[in-house]
Amino acid sequence: MIAKSITRFLIGILFCTGMQSLFAQDKSESYRIETIPMPDGLTSETGAVEFLPDGRLVACFTRGEVMTYEPSTKKWKLFAEGFHDPLGILVISNSELLVIQRPELTRVKDTDDDGIADLYEKVSDDFGISGNYHEFNYGPVKDKDGNLFISLNSSSGAGNIRPIVRGEINPLGRENGSNGQMFSNVPYRGWVMKLSPDGVLKPIASGFRSPNGIGFDLDGNLFATDNQGDWIGTSALHHVQEGKFYGHPGSLVWQKGWNKGNPFLLPLSVLDSMRTRGAVLFPHGIIANSPTQPLCDRTEGKFGPFSGQLLVGEMNNERIVRVMLERVGGELQGACLPFFEGNGLRKGNNRLAFGPDGSLWIGQNSHGWLGDQGIQRLAFTGKQPADILNMNLTEKGFELTFTQPLDESTATNLSNYKFSHYYYKYQSLYGSDQFDKQNVPVTQVEISNDRKKISLTLSSLKPGYVYELSLGTIKTSNGDDLANKIICYTLNKLKAGTF
Amino acid sequence: MKPYKKIIVFTFLVFSVNQLFANQIADTVSIVKINVLVGLQFDQVRFHVKPGQKVKLIFSNSDDMSHNLLITKPGSRLEIVNEALQLAEKGPSMDYIPKSASVLWSIPVVNPNQTQTLNFIAPQQPGVYPYVCTLPGHGFIMFGAMYVNADGNMPELKNDLNIPENRRLDNNSALNIQHNEHKVNEEKKIITAKPLHPYTPVSPYLYRVFIEGASPAALAVSLPGNLSYCWDASVCKLSFAWSGGFLDNSELWRGKGDALAKVVGTLFFRDKTEFPLSIGNHDGFQVVDYKGYSLINRYPEFHYTLNGIDVYELIMPNNNGTGLIRKFRIPGGNKIVWFNTNPTDGVSYLSSAGKWKNGKWKLLPKQAKDFSITMSRKEGGLL
Repeated sequence: MIAKSITRFLIGILFCTGMQSLFAQDKSESYRIETIPMPDGLTSETGAVEFLPDGRLVACFTRGEVMTYEPSTKKWKLFAEGFHDPLGILVISNSELLVIQRPELTRVKDTDDDGIADLYEKVSDDFGISGNYHEFNYGPVKDKDGNLFISLNSSSGAGNIRPIVRGEINPLGRENGSNGQMFSNVPYRGWVMKLSPDGVLKPIASGFRSPNGIGFDLDGNLFATDNQGDWIGTSALHHVQEGKFYGHPGSLVWQKGWNKGNPFLLPLSVLDSMRTRGAVLFPHGIIANSPTQPLCDRTEGKFGPFSGQLLVGEMNNERIVRVMLERVGGELQGACLPFFEGNGLRKGNNRLAFGPDGSLWIGQNSHGWLGDQGIQRLAFTGKQPADILNMNLTEKGFELTFTQPLDESTATNLSNYKFSHYYYKYQSLYGSDQFDKQNVPVTQVEISNDRKKISLTLSSLKPGYVYELSLGTIKTSNGDDLANKIICYTLNKLKAGTF
Repeated sequence: MKPYKKIIVFTFLVFSVNQLFANQIADTVSIVKINVLVGLQFDQVRFHVKPGQKVKLIFSNSDDMSHNLLITKPGSRLEIVNEALQLAEKGPSMDYIPKSASVLWSIPVVNPNQTQTLNFIAPQQPGVYPYVCTLPGHGFIMFGAMYVNADGNMPELKNDLNIPENRRLDNNSALNIQHNEHKVNEEKKIITAKPLHPYTPVSPYLYRVFIEGASPAALAVSLPGNLSYCWDASVCKLSFAWSGGFLDNSELWRGKGDALAKVVGTLFFRDKTEFPLSIGNHDGFQVVDYKGYSLINRYPEFHYTLNGIDVYELIMPNNNGTGLIRKFRIPGGNKIVWFNTNPTDGVSYLSSAGKWKNGKWKLLPKQAKDFSITMSRKEGGLL
């Protein structure tokens, strides 16, 4: 075992461009983190953070509290209590919320204007719960037509189902021999669900293991994250589309007309052919190990230059991830990078919301996994970060767009761009190693007239691979270092006309 | 070199003499089994071996995420944890094991439900050798201590600074027990080390909760007078009631929540009917649909439909504290309503209206618009 790790280490060294920190620029110059004081006696495992129309923050916590916080006075106030693992809030008005909890989606309302909720109305509970501890529910988010979307975790093989469950039991939703994979014995575990305004809850997309985070981009595309584990080689951001299957088999038994028996027993190639790949993969141990909520930056510049992109929380690291997407061959794919890390940011970054001033509020959670507790606020200082703004696939490689003009001599130095590619295997095993990991030489670099765009030509491009780019010491024209040295592009499809 | 017989004799007869023979004992293999608990914890946070002893460490990952296990030189845990973090993107391919002379032995990443075994010979140098999982972030809380010495000495658990802080005390679940009222007798009175909420819950109050004997969609309600009940939203009925306390949520709230809330107190009622109400032809098939609850002076009034007819139920303590009053409203009903009971459910019944007939209360449609059923604990009828 020692020999194995040493060998692995040496291999690591060969591909290593140096053990430099991922971040060269002091991020605290462009973004500043602030820790929100929490009320005494609160176990602040944060299940959701959102903002009310009147500017107050509303948050919910593991032990069932829903509380509001007035930023100007720093005062917390209890609004509602008694929820079972509430993990999502949709604000309807200053006195009305939708809250997702284990048993149902609940409307919580203060009907007599005393500031305390007095109505707890079921909105929908048309899904099963077996009592398995892993059956967390997330959402809701609302589309422009008023449809609500929630996502339902698969059940954990490390736990079991209780003698009394809610919903029909289908034993086929669990692998034979039970070696601990996630499963779906009651309806729609592992599905994203759509609740239309007429109250009908309908399963729309399957194959999720732990979709702890759901959200829309500016164009109304729906996304959900999923966590590395069995059948999930590395964590991913999925573009959720009706009728699609995203990889974890158990949930398939609840597909309408399913007649293929236990999905865990289907040949891998069959499952693979049914599956839709992640729009963006988060390489494990590199970008994110447990991504959470994707939140679109709708601040129109109040939060800096990344308007329209997605920010994604990360539980296991003191990090917020940034995602940039583009449509290639009709499908969304793109790149991810560590957006903000350390500098006082804690772990457990479970929920995100933009406040009225365009600052990002971050609810943190641990709940038995790696994480932290509490709420922090990340604000843009107004100093433009020196960072990668965008990464786009071209016919011959990639085009990088930066937030600031670059110093031409460092930016056109070929040796400052080191690409490797690798892929993650679709398999029942827990996670996947990186396979076919190889360096991909950059053969040409071109800089645009405004020195903000860099076009890179690669010796080859292969679909189905992650392209990981490590940047060397590239300076801006002001002489600043770049905030980021690493970015990972998920190449599912090539551009038409590639090579 | 291998005086087995001698050792066996000494082991069984004169335990303390063992210490004198530490070197001989080194040839026996000490088997150490380590599993993983939820919440980034090794189940064994410390163990003892003798200098030079052969050790077989069996590491079973019973968690739902991956872990490794490194044994380091004394005092080197945090250094190794930080070095592992600095591997950054190189971490996965190296099993998060930094190259360091301070790493004595290591088990690479073990996926859930897999087991790996490490054989090694304990150091001759007595000391406290940390073991730790170095996956990013884990190492700050997921660790333990291998005590290497001849005499088996380890500090008292509560004073052991070499193990995670939350494992230094036996978890005292009493600290999380909730009583409805504070008039429990003095010796039972709980000094709450840490409050359960940022406020003191005042009865009546409730939790949606996992609880034994009900579906996963249950509610547990604490009433004034040290009475509590469980109302099951899956089946829309009062399932059981108890007196003398409320809930112990300590297991449920610890870690990932793979546990049930425990009833504190004594059960005095358990529903044994198919359904407590029948509307019209009471032998027919009835469909219930849970709608939610409103808080009226903090008492939840549950709302559900029974065969499409709206029913409301609000539960309070009865007048002498020996049971419950169930206030029903069926505003739109125009049929006869039956309130069903079972003689072995632990309580006796009174109704504000209607007639008692064959173990059922029969209520005319007008009476059923608003009526109360009082349930009193039977003498000696504790369940």
